[in-house]
Amino acid sequence: MMNRILPVVLAVALSATAALADSGSTTFFKALGPEEGRLTIHSSTDLAAMKSLIADFQTIWPDTSIEYKEYLTNELNALAAEACRKQEPLGDLLLSSSVDQLVKLANDGCARPHNSPETARVAEWANWRDEVFGFTYEPAVFVYNAERVPPRDVPRTHLELADLLREQLDTYRGKVGTYDIRLSGIGYLLAFNDARQTSAVFGRLLESMARAATVARCCTGEILEEVAKGNLYIGYNMLGSYAYDAALRHPQLRVVVPRDYTLVLSRGALIPKNAVAAELGARFLDYLLSDRGQELARSNGFYFSEDGALPAEVDGPQNLKASGVAQPIRIGPALLAVQDRAQRQGFIDDWSKSLIELNSPGWTRE
Amino acid sequence: MGHEPSLFSRLARRISLVLGIGVALLVTAAWYYAETAANKAYDRLLVGAALQMAESLAVEDGKLAVRLPASAFELLGLAERDRIYYRVIDTHGRTLTGYDDLEMQMPPREPADVPNVQAGVYRGEPVRIARAVRPLADPAVNGRAYVIVAQTNEARSSLAWELTLRATGLVLVMSLLAFGGAMLAIRYALQPVERLGKAVRKRDPHDLTPVSVQVPRELDPFVGSINHFMGRLSERVDLLQRFIADAAHQIRTPLTALAAQLDIVGSSRLPEKDRQHFERARERVDELSRLTSQLLSHAMVIHRADSVQLEPVSLVDVARRAYRAAIPITVDPDIVISFEAPDDRPFVLGDAVSLREAVVNVIDNALRHGVDQRLEVRVTTANGEAHVEVEDDGPGIPPEQWEQATQRFATSKSDKGSTGLGFAIAQEVAKAHGGSLRFRTGDAGGFTVVLGLPLLEGARP
Repeated sequence: MMNRILPVVLAVALSATAALADSGSTTFFKALGPEEGRLTIHSSTDLAAMKSLIADFQTIWPDTSIEYKEYLTNELNALAAEACRKQEPLGDLLLSSSVDQLVKLANDGCARPHNSPETARVAEWANWRDEVFGFTYEPAVFVYNAERVPPRDVPRTHLELADLLREQLDTYRGKVGTYDIRLSGIGYLLAFNDARQTSAVFGRLLESMARAATVARCCTGEILEEVAKGNLYIGYNMLGSYAYDAALRHPQLRVVVPRDYTLVLSRGALIPKNAVAAELGARFLDYLLSDRGQELARSNGFYFSEDGALPAEVDGPQNLKASGVAQPIRIGPALLAVQDRAQRQGFIDDWSKSLIELNSPGWTRE
Repeated sequence: MGHEPSLFSRLARRISLVLGIGVALLVTAAWYYAETAANKAYDRLLVGAALQMAESLAVEDGKLAVRLPASAFELLGLAERDRIYYRVIDTHGRTLTGYDDLEMQMPPREPADVPNVQAGVYRGEPVRIARAVRPLADPAVNGRAYVIVAQTNEARSSLAWELTLRATGLVLVMSLLAFGGAMLAIRYALQPVERLGKAVRKRDPHDLTPVSVQVPRELDPFVGSINHFMGRLSERVDLLQRFIADAAHQIRTPLTALAAQLDIVGSSRLPEKDRQHFERARERVDELSRLTSQLLSHAMVIHRADSVQLEPVSLVDVARRAYRAAIPITVDPDIVISFEAPDDRPFVLGDAVSLREAVVNVIDNALRHGVDQRLEVRVTTANGEAHVEVEDDGPGIPPEQWEQATQRFATSKSDKGSTGLGFAIAQEVAKAHGGSLRFRTGDAGGFTVVLGLPLLEGARP
């Protein structure tokens, strides 16, 4: 058992030192009326995106206080797995962008199934065993700083990005950022699915990115920040919701939805088996999946949706689903392969070897 | 009388029992097959996934590397809701990845290279476990690596359930059809019994001829027994009849002689006191001889009813002849006697001798017991029947005794003596001809005996 958790713990330790400020912070939303129940949400989603949803939820259920704890994905996963193993409660609802970890938790019997009219409407690819539900629709996008990247350079497919890095190596050396998949669960999930999608293109892209001394960071926010500042020019595989939110704040930041294929991640929600207030967790989950919750999420924080058009000023196909570009990451047993520790280790080793070791002078954590 | 359960319910009960047992057996078999089929189907996926995973093992840099293919999990994911557990074991028996505590008991004599599947329990849940072997012959890594894959049974169970449910539906429909069909068949098969019963029930009590209903072969012994019994009964009755006829015949001769002797003695020579006794003896002898001839007549009528071919006869002729025969020359001249017949002479299909005997007996009865001053004999037709009506102005028989009057040796209370066999003979004849003997009281007094016979249409010789 120790043996299995060890790499995760290591990763958590690493991430904890890297982004101490982000992890484990707790925000308390007091009930609007007299408190009847207290819902604890353990989440790897930035509070900013969730705030308005929580506020709206509390207008419907004014008697519920909400405790919102933020973690990095790997950290959250390690805690949840540990709590499940010890049969201890950990929160009433887990929200994580690393759905593979949630699937693993569900497979290990750490989840409590939930059925309601709201869950019945969840797309088939975004529901496993009625235990793990995807509640957002987030394409993995490119971002660039329009002040640094001239319009003719803007990459619109993965291949164009690879070619751009190869052809203008000197311009973009050290100016491309992406997730450090050793630290970020989402980064690993996206990279793994990139590799499954088209191994040839991914190989080329990885090689070009390695040559261009791509900067790897733990979190979307950091990269977006640096792209906005101009320290980095291009960010690869950014979560669409965060990217668009940053673009709204920084006009020079532009978002591109790739036109060859776009991975779509659905943030997962899971009610832990040992939840103390499971019915509150279920209530919040139903709210997230309801029309009202989805509508609010689209206009406030998450921006993209499965059926709607892309938000304004996003460069990409008009409608993700209709264009056939979207490749949703299916929430299901296949994610267990992603989650496998040997697999992960092997993949991360390969990735590190190609992206970092080959290019060690360029890789510094700045 | 206690009843045995009807044949229908006996058969129905046994057939339902058999069908019920059949349904239970079939459903059990269906469940067993469904489970086997579901297991087979999903076991293939399980083995496929295990093989795929085993195939993905490779030696890299002198070490065994695992790159579990997502497609293997997608294959297992075809059982949408089932949990998947797996474990990869290297050549030294160490766990490379997966669930460390996942075990599979290997049957001792099973060849180790064949992937096999068995049922087991993992983390408190029933699972199916498959193991695939990957022999490795690399200089650095040499030996057998194993992949163990386990999957929970939800999809199997629901498939087995669905299959069983459908099969059960079919079995039930089939059983209902079979039951319905069997019930119809039983009803149909039992119809001849009902028919035979009805035929026997409806028979005239005097009809002792063999039963001639068409019955299935199985009922032949039953009908044979009935007929055999009837035959013996008929013989007995014939014998009795013949005995009565013979006895009557034998009695008649000495009776005639006795009457003659009494006549010779004569009453005039006897003293007044004895004369009364003498007259009474003579009356009794008369009565006895009449009874004897009625007995003979009755026997004859019955015999003829059985043996004589019916032919068209003119009822007027028959009635007139009977009228002549029945009215004695010595009849009281004060009595007005008349005979009426219609212009068209009605014909009936009958035996002239029997018919005459019947009419004679009716007239004789009227003369002896009814008539006061008037006796009318009429032949009429009405509603497809020909009637011989004998009307007298006597008191007649009260309606409540009509039914009794046609029985043998019935006595009427209003009159002394017995009507003897007269009405019985007439009724016997009427019945033998498909007609009837009826009584009627007129509005202005008078009592009528009607002998009705079916009219023979269109036979005028």
